[in-house]
Amino acid sequence: MENKNNDTLLKDFLSNGKQEIADNGFTKRMMRKLPDQPNRSWIVWTFACIGMTLTLAFSLYSGSMQMLLNYLQNIPIYYLLGVIFCFPLVGMLSICLTNDKKRWVI
Amino acid sequence: MSNTDDLRWVMQLTLLGDKSAFDKLTCKYQSPIRRFFRNLTMGDVPLSDDLAQETFIKAYLNINTFKGISGFSTWLFRIAYNVFYDSVRAQKHFADIDNHEIDQQHQTQNEFSAEKIDIYQAIKMLRKEEQTAVLLFYMEDKTHNEIAKIMDTPLGTVKTYILKGKEKLSVYLTNAGYGK
Repeated sequence: MENKNNDTLLKDFLSNGKQEIADNGFTKRMMRKLPDQPNRSWIVWTFACIGMTLTLAFSLYSGSMQMLLNYLQNIPIYYLLGVIFCFPLVGMLSICLTNDKKRWVI
Repeated sequence: MSNTDDLRWVMQLTLLGDKSAFDKLTCKYQSPIRRFFRNLTMGDVPLSDDLAQETFIKAYLNINTFKGISGFSTWLFRIAYNVFYDSVRAQKHFADIDNHEIDQQHQTQNEFSAEKIDIYQAIKMLRKEEQTAVLLFYMEDKTHNEIAKIMDTPLGTVKTYILKGKEKLSVYLTNAGYGK
């Protein structure tokens, strides 16, 4: 019982002293002191290109590309156009939602 | 903001070298880290900001060593803990703390100065390890396991530090009439 009272007393005392410290330019000053990191985005793009090239080569070699083209030719053109135009829309929406969640909070 | 956000920003920084990701991490954690140092340095604002800056710079330079096993907060506090104790061992700043000077400094700071002095005076009674453990547990809401990782100390030892710290502080607060 005493232990619990001490716990409560301490929590109360320390939480009263807990303050959020305003940034006041701390982050800016700190970021200015950071050394420049080399841009490594080329790694992602390199592997993406390699992956796409390998997939294309495999699909051409195995004939699955031809099968896909034959299948697509049988789909009505309007359906295909609808899907193609939906991709950028969905992509933009995902980017907006992931980048800035605050805008969507009511 | 969640731990998922932390991981995403760390990945953006490590894979793409995206500094703005580290900016977001700093914005999120600058308050708890600076508060942690302010309490350990008994309210020395310039020193605690220097130590906090050193912590974030070390975190940035060693971001590749973050494995994601523990949370980013735990990893960052571990660095902060090491920075603080390196500073103590170097004895650059803690040789002689002028209590009168601290009193003067805090009385002119803000309307809550009286309460601040109580906290620093209370915490000063504890050993350094007890101070760290108690502050992390009661003020930064870390679990025993997280504190053990931060202090690189066995779990049982952490619990002992917190228990002893709690006993000493409870006696001080009771004698000071706090909570009556």
